[in-house]
Amino acid sequence: MKINILFLLALWGSSVAAQNEVVSQTFRDTRVINGHSVETSPLGEMKFIISHRFGYINQGAYELFGFDQSTIRLGLDYGISDRLTVGIGRSSYQKTLDGFGKYRVLKQKKGGMPISLSAMSTINCNTLKWEVPERNNFFTSRLSYASQLIIAKKFSDSFSWQIMPTLVHLNLVPTSKDKHDIIAIGSATRYQISKTISLTTEYYFVITEQLAQGLRNSLAIGIDIETKGHVFQLHFSNSRGMIEKFFITDTRGRWEKAEISLGFNITRDFRLRGR
Amino acid sequence: MKINYSARTALVLIFLGAFILLSWKDKKDSNPLNDNTPLWDIFLALGEAKPSHYIENPDPEKIRLGKELVFHGRASLPEGGKSKYISKFYVCTDCHNQVQEDPFLPESNPDTRLDYAIKNDLRFLQASTFWGMANRESWYNEDYVKKYGALVEPAHKSLAESTQLCARECSSGRYLEQWELEAIMQYYWTIQVKLGDLPLSNQEKADLEKAWNKGTANKELVNLLRSKIMTYSPSTFVETHEKQAAQSLKGNPARGEELWQRSCLNCHREYGPSQLILDDSKQTMAKFKKRLGDGTDFDLYQILRHGTHAEPGHRQYMPLYPLERMSIQQIVDIQSFVESKLN
Repeated sequence: MKINILFLLALWGSSVAAQNEVVSQTFRDTRVINGHSVETSPLGEMKFIISHRFGYINQGAYELFGFDQSTIRLGLDYGISDRLTVGIGRSSYQKTLDGFGKYRVLKQKKGGMPISLSAMSTINCNTLKWEVPERNNFFTSRLSYASQLIIAKKFSDSFSWQIMPTLVHLNLVPTSKDKHDIIAIGSATRYQISKTISLTTEYYFVITEQLAQGLRNSLAIGIDIETKGHVFQLHFSNSRGMIEKFFITDTRGRWEKAEISLGFNITRDFRLRGR
Repeated sequence: MKINYSARTALVLIFLGAFILLSWKDKKDSNPLNDNTPLWDIFLALGEAKPSHYIENPDPEKIRLGKELVFHGRASLPEGGKSKYISKFYVCTDCHNQVQEDPFLPESNPDTRLDYAIKNDLRFLQASTFWGMANRESWYNEDYVKKYGALVEPAHKSLAESTQLCARECSSGRYLEQWELEAIMQYYWTIQVKLGDLPLSNQEKADLEKAWNKGTANKELVNLLRSKIMTYSPSTFVETHEKQAAQSLKGNPARGEELWQRSCLNCHREYGPSQLILDDSKQTMAKFKKRLGDGTDFDLYQILRHGTHAEPGHRQYMPLYPLERMSIQQIVDIQSFVESKLN
């Protein structure tokens, strides 16, 4: 295991070519599966994202293997510059609004900067009706936050890897024993199998003893199909949420019990202004 | 000392004459013919009529605006703020160089142009350079009518109309406002072909200098100069039967790589005008090789010779390469580069 880690670190630090040009397309879209990739939208480009997660496939034919249930997130991202992207979205899961900003701090260069780095921060607002309206409820109880660093490297034309140290803050937790701040480390990979198709994986490891009983780490595997102006992402995941708050702190599915959901993200890019 | 009336009159006349002689300057003496003399200055001196895009008084501010519009698609306005983008998708420089791109000006030869591009580190693009555009007499000629139909009719004889056609149709943008058009015309005027760019013999130069100093019309010399530049915008759209012609050609992967870098990746790069990003990975090359001849957008012949078309909701498209902008041999060279990356 140690040897493997050392090998990967050595690979991470290696530079590949003499030219000092920016390495492009570390990932094929701004999302890997559930979470963000290191990529940002280009200046002036608006990305419309439709994401669906169906129910668990282990529910059998009666639920059409989960197709009878679905959650959806509609999102709009916009590139304020080639480095800065902002976005908003609305998930049907817990009727949650979210907004985020992502900044590309470093760009990997051939023969230069060995990694790419983005910083992402998001705020989420649960808009469900209060469970106990008679209680003195606070608006801030609806809010949660996530901050993330995304450190990525494109090792070859085929393979990219990113790690994502993440902090999720929940203003309101179910019980006093639950933690408000949860630290997780994510890992995501892309393996390109053809010009337009790549395989992706995404795993978020929540440092132990932070989650309540029955909550699990999020693991997803997927496939990206890229066409002109579109990326179609199809995947299986044990998470049904599509924002950090949900898939890091509220994943309930167990892969070994086939409590996994089929899901997809479709993105469509629109150019709103010149560059 | 008393000066009589006649002497005073003579003195006044002498001073007046001296004043006139000293203040009068021969226009040609103040602006001698040299290598930096723009071609239109010479044409006008030789008796040619002013073109419709003639600029009487070049204005540095308008030239600045025109240059910004060409390079950035919008300009910083004198009153503050920036103008609206001409196109959301393209700027002029995506398809047009701004400097000389052909070593032998009267010919639009893609093979010699590539050598020149390599030597001078230029891009190898679908459309003509703006350099010398003001010295042409006609634009959007020959097969451009197949693509733009009747729209090319007004563009044939007017640089302003051809610029409007380019802004609206080629760049998937909008028609230029009058001030924008004027600014771009002023910019064109500053990047004319100059006398020093033309290969003239000593005798030709002497004849020209003589005519320039005399300021007399000389159609023969005008025609001589015109024979040394490209005076129209040729285009031959090649149909797919060229594929047969290409079968017998052997590709040069090194030249193919130059074309890949200077043509394809000019647009198909990260943050470039195209949404399709290309690289020299095996996956990209395998896709091109697999699709060769299938008539899709990844078929090199198809895409280079026919381009794509703007569609509702997706206005970006790829302009085609006419024969004058990319030869059959060069397509074979790109193909051989693609294949070499898979070996």
